[in-house]
Amino acid sequence: MRSPFLAGLLLTTSLGAAPVDFAHEVVPILRKHCVECHAGDKKKGGLSMNTRASLLEGGENGAVVTAGQTQKSKLLEAIVSADPDVRMPPKGDRLSSAEVATLRAWVEQGAVWTEGFAFKQPAYEPPLRPRQPVLPEVRNGRPHPIDRVLDGWLADKGAPTPPVADDATFLRRVTLDFVGLLPSAEEARAFAADRRPDKRALLVRSLLARNVDYADHWMAFWNDLLRNDYAGTGYIDGGRKQITSWLYVSLLANKPYDVFARELIAPSADSEGFAKGIIWRGAVSAAQVPELQYSQSVSQTFLGINMKCASCHDSFVDRWKLRDAYGLAAIYSDHPMELVRCDIPTGKPAAAAWPFPELGQVDATKPREERLAQLAALITHPENGRFPRTIVNRLWHRLMGRGVVHPVDAMQTQPWNQDLLDVLANRLVESKYDLKAVLEFIATSQAYQSRAEILSRDADDKGYVYRGPRAKRLTAEQFVDAVWRLTGTTPAKIELKVPRAAPTAASAKKPVVEPLLAAPIWSGDIAGGRLPAAGETRSFRRQLVLDADVESAACVVTCDNGFELYVNGKKIGEGDNWADPKSFDLTASLLMGANQIVIVGHNGGQKPNVAAAWFQVNVELKGGVRVRMATDASWEWTTSLPNARGTFAAAGKAKAATKTAEIVWQPVSLVKGEAWRKAESRMAEMLAGVGGTSSLPARASLMKSDLLQRALGRPNREQIVSMRPNELSTLEAIDLSNGQALTNLLSAGAAKLKKRTWTSPEELARWLYLSALSREPAPAELKVAAGIVGAEISEQGVADLLWVVCMLPEFQTIR
Amino acid sequence: MNSPLPLDPALPEPLARREFLRMLAAAGAATLSMSAPRLLAESEKLVQPAATADSVILIWLAGGMAAPETFDPKRYAPYEKGLSYDRVLSTFPAIPTSVDGVRICEGLENIAQVMDRGTLIRSAVQPDLGTILHSRHQFHWHTGYVPPQTVACPHIGAWMARVLGPRNPVMPAFINIGQRLEGVGESEELKAFTTAGFFGGEYGPMNLPFPEEAAAAVRPPKGMDAGRFVSRDREFRRLVDATPSRDLLSDHQHESMLRSMDKAYRLLSAKERAAFDITLETPEVQKDYDTGRFGRGCLLARRLVENGARFVEVTTEYVPFFQWDTHGKGHETVAKMHAEIDRPIARLIRDLEQRGLLDRTLVIIASEFSRDAMIEGRPGSKAKDQAFNKSGIMTSPDHYGLHRHFTGGTSVVMFGGGVKKGHVYGATADERPLVAIKDPVSISDMHATIFRAMGISPKTAFDIEGRPFYATVDGKGVPIPIFRS
Repeated sequence: MRSPFLAGLLLTTSLGAAPVDFAHEVVPILRKHCVECHAGDKKKGGLSMNTRASLLEGGENGAVVTAGQTQKSKLLEAIVSADPDVRMPPKGDRLSSAEVATLRAWVEQGAVWTEGFAFKQPAYEPPLRPRQPVLPEVRNGRPHPIDRVLDGWLADKGAPTPPVADDATFLRRVTLDFVGLLPSAEEARAFAADRRPDKRALLVRSLLARNVDYADHWMAFWNDLLRNDYAGTGYIDGGRKQITSWLYVSLLANKPYDVFARELIAPSADSEGFAKGIIWRGAVSAAQVPELQYSQSVSQTFLGINMKCASCHDSFVDRWKLRDAYGLAAIYSDHPMELVRCDIPTGKPAAAAWPFPELGQVDATKPREERLAQLAALITHPENGRFPRTIVNRLWHRLMGRGVVHPVDAMQTQPWNQDLLDVLANRLVESKYDLKAVLEFIATSQAYQSRAEILSRDADDKGYVYRGPRAKRLTAEQFVDAVWRLTGTTPAKIELKVPRAAPTAASAKKPVVEPLLAAPIWSGDIAGGRLPAAGETRSFRRQLVLDADVESAACVVTCDNGFELYVNGKKIGEGDNWADPKSFDLTASLLMGANQIVIVGHNGGQKPNVAAAWFQVNVELKGGVRVRMATDASWEWTTSLPNARGTFAAAGKAKAATKTAEIVWQPVSLVKGEAWRKAESRMAEMLAGVGGTSSLPARASLMKSDLLQRALGRPNREQIVSMRPNELSTLEAIDLSNGQALTNLLSAGAAKLKKRTWTSPEELARWLYLSALSREPAPAELKVAAGIVGAEISEQGVADLLWVVCMLPEFQTIR
Repeated sequence: MNSPLPLDPALPEPLARREFLRMLAAAGAATLSMSAPRLLAESEKLVQPAATADSVILIWLAGGMAAPETFDPKRYAPYEKGLSYDRVLSTFPAIPTSVDGVRICEGLENIAQVMDRGTLIRSAVQPDLGTILHSRHQFHWHTGYVPPQTVACPHIGAWMARVLGPRNPVMPAFINIGQRLEGVGESEELKAFTTAGFFGGEYGPMNLPFPEEAAAAVRPPKGMDAGRFVSRDREFRRLVDATPSRDLLSDHQHESMLRSMDKAYRLLSAKERAAFDITLETPEVQKDYDTGRFGRGCLLARRLVENGARFVEVTTEYVPFFQWDTHGKGHETVAKMHAEIDRPIARLIRDLEQRGLLDRTLVIIASEFSRDAMIEGRPGSKAKDQAFNKSGIMTSPDHYGLHRHFTGGTSVVMFGGGVKKGHVYGATADERPLVAIKDPVSISDMHATIFRAMGISPKTAFDIEGRPFYATVDGKGVPIPIFRS
């Protein structure tokens, strides 16, 4: 058989005409008239003339050149046609008759091509199967596989190694990245004081062990990526279904990612909302029917493929074709589908298929459920390296501020470091698809622990160069959570019904509500009928002696009108509405031996009125013994207040001189009242675990979107969102500067903060810096910050300082 | 009590002045963020048409303004019990206008007197999007694209903001007046197009649902007087400046955040802030405009454009089954709507003209579709089918009106901005179906026309997810010939 390629010698043809010189005669014609739209990235009509193979493959309407057969080569018709719908090129100069004759002769002679010639470099095709990169040698004593790859890369480029970030930066970064919350001032102090050499790794692990915080935080990421929301288009008329509960439980249990994906691709009733998509009211284009939405969502989320172009026509920008988009759609569809090109039916049936047949194919003859299961198995196939690469790239982007492949949904494009991508992907697979293991893997690398890159505006103009992690903007949810925590304004309840605790054997059982043991108490000085004064504050205490280690312990507490609860000198929580009792997990707070429980109760109102406090703790000891302790006549009260450490040693300098014996503890009185029945029955329910553990403070990610969150970039989740804008817009800045929602939070926070005992404005400023930025203020900052608070600490000054600190770019970013 | 802010000069001298000046110098083209989509290379080569307008005021009569009840009067018959729908095309008689031979509906007497300042397009058509749902047609009208789309489409105002930028750097480029986005029906659907979409939040819209509260939107927060607001900002700058190792923190992202904070502060303290306060107008002017929220919105729109806004939309507001969404008592309701829009729109045109702004301000009156007394669109039904379904006899005044959606022929009025004066473009049939019979104008052509006035080619495209996204679908719209040469 004759080679279609010139191999250095001229071929003669059967017609005896002079052989056409491809390189010198044909290439210039194609280059002049055709390749602008039909080579390289451009494939108008699905036709690429980049290589001989792609030319002969043809376009959407079939073959355009058949070697040796001019009558079967539509190309030759198009270049002479006068029909505006047919002619090529569609605009501009026609081919000269000499050029037409050359192409005709060339086709006739077999469309001979110079071997290896392509008009443009062939489009990048990423590897599909997993790769096992060979790790470069360990440099600079940094043996972590990520660092070996990156240090090798940096050495190759002669680029400097990014310096290590300080502890405070690392603490804030990893806490926000993993659980979405600011580290508290106490956590910041403790971490700074920790001298253990492996404290960073220990911190990483302890954060990932905070299952509820982790699930709360990552809900936002997954809601974006799976376009799940708590309200929005489609929900009201059944055109859309939430997967909230399934998602939350999956995150709480750190469900292996392959299982997670399979449950979304071949869904059950709990998880089908993702597959079902959004059934839009009214007529929609063929590319937006639910089956095509499935095709687009599954390929984008799990494979980083943009099937949106190909849902309408063969993609002009990458390799995906209309039949690829419909192949996935047909797997999902419960009826035969027809290929529809740009809303015009083609008459061709869609065949159920997925786009990587080299790993196996879906059996189109099987029923839908089986096809979906097959697709789920193929996508999560061990040989499908694209599946782990796509998700680890997303996680790398969340943590490092930029994808290894970027944008993260363009997985068809070249990563800046293929080995890095594969090291991460392999880690996911080796850990049995444990997403937390990948997060831990990244966060324990020196790369993650490095100082953030100092970004210039033209940073990526000439391609990305790794210079360390990039700062990320706080998400709307992180910002709101941070403000809530700083100002003590976190709403008490979330709007969703999700189980914010790991399912335990106990919670799996139907809860049994036992009668409340806690009795309302107040100071014994009411025995004579005295009504407690408005604003009266009393401390109550009782000791709880436990004979064994604690297996679990939960308490309920409330007070008419407000309380703070301390256990063993540590403040556990507070409340300011007696009708809204709080419950707290005391498992980690109670110890074997004597435990000190202290409640500080506040009375409210304008004139003397009845006041009372309740507390009950239910403890399960190791070994199975149950202990119940509640407010009753055995409690004691005093007018003294505990210090910040919840103890009654007198405060400050006078400590040595003051004897604790001076504090007089006396028996409490029981209070009678019917008005509290509802709160009491609620407390009984809370102890039984009914309605979840409501003591968990709300998280912004578990609330419906509101003006403030929207203003901060929480997206409308009608489309999949994989990267939120990293910049603060002017309109957002206006909202932050004068929006009522934030102003109210800061005012309420200022009022609460002012009530705390501060020795000086500087102390408050230090506390805020530590709480908001995880670092101590520099002297110059302290001076300005304390100045804002004012020498006499005023609510207004505190509110202004809160605003100023929350507006600092350092606050609004994770560096 | 709030003391007034210094109106001018805008910025108190901050300690970190040097820093901010440096950043502002870089801010010229830097509204482009690194993550924002970029103009397609091909578009950079496009020859953009010369602009005939610098600003747009889109007067959006949401809910389906019936052309035969407003700008395209047809056969009129007064209500009587037993009146057949066949005999009624308009429930208002026609009145003459300042343009010879051009008549519009009774109730719009003031607008009639300014019709010689603009072009009346009577042949706008919309595709039949299935059940002819308001919010879907509104999405289509505002973005140029039929929903749903796989990417978040920008509102046409965001296109103006993105391509042209603000006219006045202090003023938000795209401002949306009069539409609540919370607590009204179909609010999620409204949000889907009331957005800059993939352009990002920098391109608007600034939403001002209540014109009378607009001033508060650019004022310091409630309870904060001007002195405190100014000093809070000053302290913010001082604290930014006091940050140790500024060099470590000062990068593109930080600077862009500071720039946004600074731009916000500049608006909240600039003299342009007064543009948002309609109470600064004389009582006479306020009274003339004040037919309700919409009228006040028109006054606000004028003040905003006077002070450099690029694109302002002002609406009678879409609330399902209210305002122009007349599914019953059509005549009565539209009479009220006439009263609400007539005076303020006419006054707006005259005010702009008097200030010399009309020539460079394109004022558009539009709605998502028209109405007919007859048949509402149903799945699968086309505009042409709508004539053949008879709906019988009116037995109550509640039946008197145009109650059914109609997409075959809609009126759009354009004033100023380089369009012909006293001109009528296109026509609809005089008998049912009242479809456009001359020069139909599609949404793409309508958008191309608006873009043309603003000096933007419909082929202008951005690179979105690796593919071109055009100002009009596939760049195909063609401006209609209504411009003065």
